[in-house]
Amino acid sequence: MAMMKFQTVERDSFFTKLDFRPKLLMMTVISIVAFVWENPIMEATLAILIIVSCLLVGVRWGYIRTVLLIMSPFYVILLLTHGFFNVDQVKTVLGIQQLKPMFAIPKNWWLIGGGTMSWEGFFYGINIIFKTLCLTLIIPLGIFTTEVDNMIVGMVRSRIPYKIAFIFSSTLRFFPLLFQEIQNIIEAQRLRGLAMEKMGPVKRVRVYSKVAIPLILGAMVKSQQLEVVLQSKAFSGDSDRTYIHQSILRWLDWVLIVFFLVFFVVSLVLYIWFGIGRFFSPV
Amino acid sequence: MAKKIAVIDNISYMYPRSENFVLDRISLDIYGGEFLGLIGPTGAGKTTLCLALNGIVPQFYGGRFYGSVQIAGLDTLHYPISKLARYVGEVFEDPETQLVATSVQNEIAFAMENLKFHREEILARIPEVLAAVRLEGTELKHPAELSGGQKQRLAIAAALAVQPDLLVLDEPTSQLDPVGAEEVFATVRELNRNLGKTIVMVSHAAEEMAEFVDRLAFLSHGRLIACGKPEEIYSDIELLTRNDLRPPQVASTFYLINQKTNCKVTDVPVRLDEGKNAIVKIAKMAEFDLSSPLPEPPKYSGSPLFSVKDLKYVYHDGTEALRNISLDICEGEYVLIIGQNGAGKSTLVKHFLHLLSPTSGTVTVAGKDLEKYTVGDLARRIGYIAQNPDYQIFNATVEEEISFALKNLEFPAEIVKERTEFSLESMGLTQFRNRHPLSLPKGDRARVVIAAILAMEPEIIIFDEPTTGQDYRGARYILDLSRQLHKMGKTVIVITHHLYLMPEYAERVIVMGKGTILMDGPIRDVYHQTELLGSTFLTPPQAVLLSQELGKLNGHLCPFLTPEELSDRVVIKERQV
Repeated sequence: MAMMKFQTVERDSFFTKLDFRPKLLMMTVISIVAFVWENPIMEATLAILIIVSCLLVGVRWGYIRTVLLIMSPFYVILLLTHGFFNVDQVKTVLGIQQLKPMFAIPKNWWLIGGGTMSWEGFFYGINIIFKTLCLTLIIPLGIFTTEVDNMIVGMVRSRIPYKIAFIFSSTLRFFPLLFQEIQNIIEAQRLRGLAMEKMGPVKRVRVYSKVAIPLILGAMVKSQQLEVVLQSKAFSGDSDRTYIHQSILRWLDWVLIVFFLVFFVVSLVLYIWFGIGRFFSPV
Repeated sequence: MAKKIAVIDNISYMYPRSENFVLDRISLDIYGGEFLGLIGPTGAGKTTLCLALNGIVPQFYGGRFYGSVQIAGLDTLHYPISKLARYVGEVFEDPETQLVATSVQNEIAFAMENLKFHREEILARIPEVLAAVRLEGTELKHPAELSGGQKQRLAIAAALAVQPDLLVLDEPTSQLDPVGAEEVFATVRELNRNLGKTIVMVSHAAEEMAEFVDRLAFLSHGRLIACGKPEEIYSDIELLTRNDLRPPQVASTFYLINQKTNCKVTDVPVRLDEGKNAIVKIAKMAEFDLSSPLPEPPKYSGSPLFSVKDLKYVYHDGTEALRNISLDICEGEYVLIIGQNGAGKSTLVKHFLHLLSPTSGTVTVAGKDLEKYTVGDLARRIGYIAQNPDYQIFNATVEEEISFALKNLEFPAEIVKERTEFSLESMGLTQFRNRHPLSLPKGDRARVVIAAILAMEPEIIIFDEPTTGQDYRGARYILDLSRQLHKMGKTVIVITHHLYLMPEYAERVIVMGKGTILMDGPIRDVYHQTELLGSTFLTPPQAVLLSQELGKLNGHLCPFLTPEELSDRVVIKERQV
């Protein structure tokens, strides 16, 4: 049977050889910049660059497509809500009194009649869509290209407490077990005659909520067992320990660190003093 | 005389919020290079004693602790657990929860990293300990990619890596199939005999413990009631029986021979080889009553309840899990399915339960293709008791638990009431009807699940590894319930690795291996196909092996299954063995 496992890229590239610290910096800088920028064209450019980078380093197109598919209903909602209803914020950001209409819904339509989609609101929605894409896809670019061991050491070297790094690695270790346990419990319920597929949504939610009881109890038992195991292995959570995996910054790592630091500073300077990155509507 | 590694001096211990001592005035010395077995029924205090050896009891749990434990000269009350971990390596029962890292090499390195070993030293020790447990070449694997036996060997390797003075193993084989258990026992024996490691091991596997350990400490109700060589402890059948412990079948057999004949076997053997020698001696002076008939399994006829034809199942990744499976199970049968992990037992049972659909072939229940049954219909016909009964408990009272599925399937209120009452009474749960199921002991929780299933009035009840992780008393308790259901006319299917438990219950055995049926027949025939069972790493009960030895000596077929059957037929002549 297939085993649930943490996803890593198969392609060996300069990016997979990088230390985790420049990647951690990259994720932080890109996330902040994407969050701050409101310019739809710049956000789109950044998102496309991230997608291309993901594909170049070996993140499967199937994964990116799944993200896009899952997010697409939200994107439609974002476009509609911003296009139709985000009027005041867009006027304030642009400093204008009137928005350009893209189209209007006939007044005689029930409930939504009379609504107007504005170009500015539409582009603000586009900005938000690419912003979320940047924030979502920068994670696999940094995480999927790094072995767990290197991530842990990289996090510790970046002064993240070892306890947090350990929680992160244990999650990766125990998630498949938890997933298996959920499967077993759902199967056990099914074998007691609970045909989920024939239940209405309310009843289904009620029955699914019952999965939580054995799951939580099982998790509590396991967590206490785990605590005893950790004690017996001299675990204290203290970062003052040795590591078999090394985290060494090579010249390429330094190049990336310098690049992202410069990018961060320049982006903020351009944004604050020259307004580059602020929202504008191409139409 | 060997050096003392651990000195346990008159310790007593009570867990927080408990009123009873789980360890009661225990004194025990553990010597360098020895292999000490800790035995006793569930609740005897074995695990607590193991945890006292590295200070987790009482430092981690708290509670009241009296006396002292010294490891390598360090008092466990005065040194932190993290320091004591350098001297005591612990291996636990559950292969899943005790592996904390995401690769084999990280797992081994983990404790050494915590103890601040130099990186170079850690890297040097990893291949050494992997070689010691025969897991070379697995350094980069994820623990989930290993089999159960390999996981436990990895846990042993991780404990060994810090080069502890004492290696403590708490029921390391109880969750494993026979191959995994054999791997672990063989590894531990090699570590003890070849590398001189001091071992303390808890196990219910009496036959293996008799074979491998130097000394046994017998705990009951928190007290050390006996300590001595395996031949001293395991030959005292009355002491073991009084304390709900199962002796090796060799010892039971010769104990019964002593009881039933007026001629005594002076030293009751506890190991198979000794038993075979003793049988040779007995054969020279005994006659065997082979004329008295042995119980025959009942004949079942009529159209089958379960029918499997040319079943094949291939997983999505291309693994062929089942092939050429054809079998019929008639109403009222008690069927045992055995085989290694990966033999296809669970996959077959999942087809019975319609959790999987055949890649090709058919599975029918009462003549109707399983594909045509709804989930509700199937639950009315087939009851399934999982290895862990807690997975099947969802409700706040025993009564609600029993009526849960009936209500979900929208049975009329009077039927729900009637069947709930019947199930409560049949399983002796009436007094617990308002208790929370999870407040009951594990055996009773299984009883609640069985009662809930009984309420559905299924014709077939499947027990999936009900004896795994149970002590002898717990396993017998659940199997006695299965017999009760069988007597009520239910068709019972049991999957277990514990062959020695089943002769009193099962009538028919299906042996599976590599996705196919290797043999299907009456239990007496199958258990005596020792070569076939051996080929799939299943070990027949010692009584079967002794019977075969007897058969070789007297030239007759001796198809006995239990110590009782064998000893019943020995008629000793008037001479001392």
